[in-house]
Amino acid sequence: MEQSNPSRRQFLTAIGNLASAGWLAMNWPQIAHAAEHAGHSAHGMDHAVAAAPTTFKTLSPAQGAEVDAIANLIVPGGSTPGARDASVAYFIDNALGSFFAAQLPAFTQGLSEFASAYAARYGTAQPFSAAPEAQQIAWLQEVEKTPFFSAMRRLTVLGLIALPKYGGNRDYLGWQLIGVEDNHAWEPPFGYYDIDYPGFEPYPGTKPYTA
Amino acid sequence: MKRKTYKTSETVDFIVVGSGSSGGIMARELARAGNSVVVMEQGPRLAPEDFEHDELKYRNLSGITNNPATNPQTFRNSENEVAKPVSGRNPLTYARVVGGSSSHFNANFWRLHEIDFIEGSRLGPIEGASLVDWPITYAELEPYYTMVEWEVGVSGLAGASPFDPWRSKPYPMPPLPVKSSGVLFERGARKLGLHPFPAPMAINSVFYKDRPPCVQCGLCGGFGCEVMAKSSSVWTVIPEAEATGRCEVRPESYVFRIGMNKAGRATGVHYFDGDRNEQFQKARAVVVCANGAETPRLLLNSAPDGSADGLANSSGAVGRYLMFNKGGGAQARFEHPLNEYKGANVTRILHDFYDSDPKRGFYGGGGFDARSGGPLTWGQNVPKGTPTWGPGFKEYLESYTYWMNCSGHGTSLAVESNRVDIDPELKDAWGVPAIRVTHKDHPDDTKHAKWQVERAVEIMDAAGATQIVPGEIGEATGGVHLLGTCRMGNDPATSVIDKYHRTHDVRNLFLCDGSSMVTSGRGQPTQTIEALAFRAAEHIARFARANEI
Repeated sequence: MEQSNPSRRQFLTAIGNLASAGWLAMNWPQIAHAAEHAGHSAHGMDHAVAAAPTTFKTLSPAQGAEVDAIANLIVPGGSTPGARDASVAYFIDNALGSFFAAQLPAFTQGLSEFASAYAARYGTAQPFSAAPEAQQIAWLQEVEKTPFFSAMRRLTVLGLIALPKYGGNRDYLGWQLIGVEDNHAWEPPFGYYDIDYPGFEPYPGTKPYTA
Repeated sequence: MKRKTYKTSETVDFIVVGSGSSGGIMARELARAGNSVVVMEQGPRLAPEDFEHDELKYRNLSGITNNPATNPQTFRNSENEVAKPVSGRNPLTYARVVGGSSSHFNANFWRLHEIDFIEGSRLGPIEGASLVDWPITYAELEPYYTMVEWEVGVSGLAGASPFDPWRSKPYPMPPLPVKSSGVLFERGARKLGLHPFPAPMAINSVFYKDRPPCVQCGLCGGFGCEVMAKSSSVWTVIPEAEATGRCEVRPESYVFRIGMNKAGRATGVHYFDGDRNEQFQKARAVVVCANGAETPRLLLNSAPDGSADGLANSSGAVGRYLMFNKGGGAQARFEHPLNEYKGANVTRILHDFYDSDPKRGFYGGGGFDARSGGPLTWGQNVPKGTPTWGPGFKEYLESYTYWMNCSGHGTSLAVESNRVDIDPELKDAWGVPAIRVTHKDHPDDTKHAKWQVERAVEIMDAAGATQIVPGEIGEATGGVHLLGTCRMGNDPATSVIDKYHRTHDVRNLFLCDGSSMVTSGRGQPTQTIEALAFRAAEHIARFARANEI
């Protein structure tokens, strides 16, 4: 079953091409464990789907809905994944309840001010997340210089790209968006420009030498 | 293998404070010379599988670095200001694990050139700076640079750069495979008549000393290497030190004061163990290899009773002349994907602009490399004119694999008022007085960094970039190259250690790390720190044998 996982197979291929069988046999358990830490191997996609959060634990549902709406305007969905597809709001919820807990008071105050200013601006009792998209965008353009929006933007990017174990980047959709493949090791060629590299050409007067 | 342990009541020959680039080498060499050694490391000992591919953890959450929540520091630009903590990070960053910052370095291993050791007499004096000669020369250090390359493990191509200093041996391993960034950098630089060459890296390119070649995971700088291909002390010299049967590495042992007797000799170290209980380890001599931030802090926190100046500080130079290696570069986008998230971070460099050229009108020199950065860090900033949110921002995020960096790495001048000292109020989670940093860039360092930005733009333009984002040069607010704070010299009135790394003031107290450096070099100090450690250890072991400690 493990061998059927494409990431693990690629990883084994990369390692196998580089390393001798003896070393691999001796050290494979450690490296396999490291790969699993990174979510690159046996646990893979299915594990990420199963572990993706579906309820807010730090933010209230109403707050979560607002955060989700703002995040999805920072990185909109569409033909390619956006913040909502990558469950960025759940990353933010998790972050503010754990490793960024110190930011929670300022964040919730900022969110509250965001909501009340929005309500006053548009004379509505409806939340920002319920507004038409054009109105949402117009309001974000008015508040894009605020510390709260800066925090939202930073958290959205983190939630899009950080490992799925933190609650966002669901199914590595954030990595898919930016073109990063889910793998633990690589071998050349890495990109377009090193495919046909002819080799290092020494300069006149130099004599490169090796051991 | 059962690891050797010592009781705190035993008087060991040497305590080495710090297990990083210099501490690991110091421990191995002193133990191999027959001495009993205890290495004190602030942080934990991590196994290969403990190092994760987790950019959030290592870049944003102080995964293995000094955490501002528990190890806070303050910062200010001048002595007239009240220093304050910097939001969310520490000004001076280092790895707090067995292996120290060698665990998370990018592994760029550049030797200094002959000129680095004699710039004071060649180019000095410079107003507002203390540019002086080293008490040793390149020729004296060359055998130890070679030792680093062969004992620790460096890959590269000897003789490839017309600007390389002379060397006695080639690298033991061929260079790492080139990346797209390296190809483009080389293409652009050659068009300009420059001389890019394969980067010397402390990363295995082939099997070497029972460690495998790099698997090109792309996560070097900031990360530990779980396959042990990166030549970090924790995978190289530390196990070899332990294999002597005379060396104990004691993790989670936080040294906060050097013990002294009335005769002015070091007697051992006071430290907190993993349970934060205070302990004292006895030793005949102490070698501090704690890095350019923690070494001066330890000395300043070890002031003998009645002294406000700290230990081994009759010169007043402890903590002064802090240097970071300033530099400037550019980010560039190309037509096709480079996929810089794959592969070791740096594969091509150039040293055409290494020497300071008085014709430029300012002091400064350096090197350039082609390098990459992780997507999490990259995505936080956008070029001027690019939307910061919405569909335009999303399009920018989608271009991640099309970008690379051309980075300049350069000199920082030694300035007396740039320093590490002790904050008058702030203490860390152990109650130990915290670091206060005072730093303002020398004007020449800023001019040179801006000049480097212009050269990087030229190289990327010649390479065919479709978009170039010149780096912005601001005032330094911290660094990871922590240099010069206990400088070596022949004159006890102006330096902290002599040319053998013995403190001028305390006969059995030695210092060896980035703090020993007299000038900053050109941006990649670690190989020099390791060469100094091999050299210092040889002399310290000689002193021990001759009963001259």
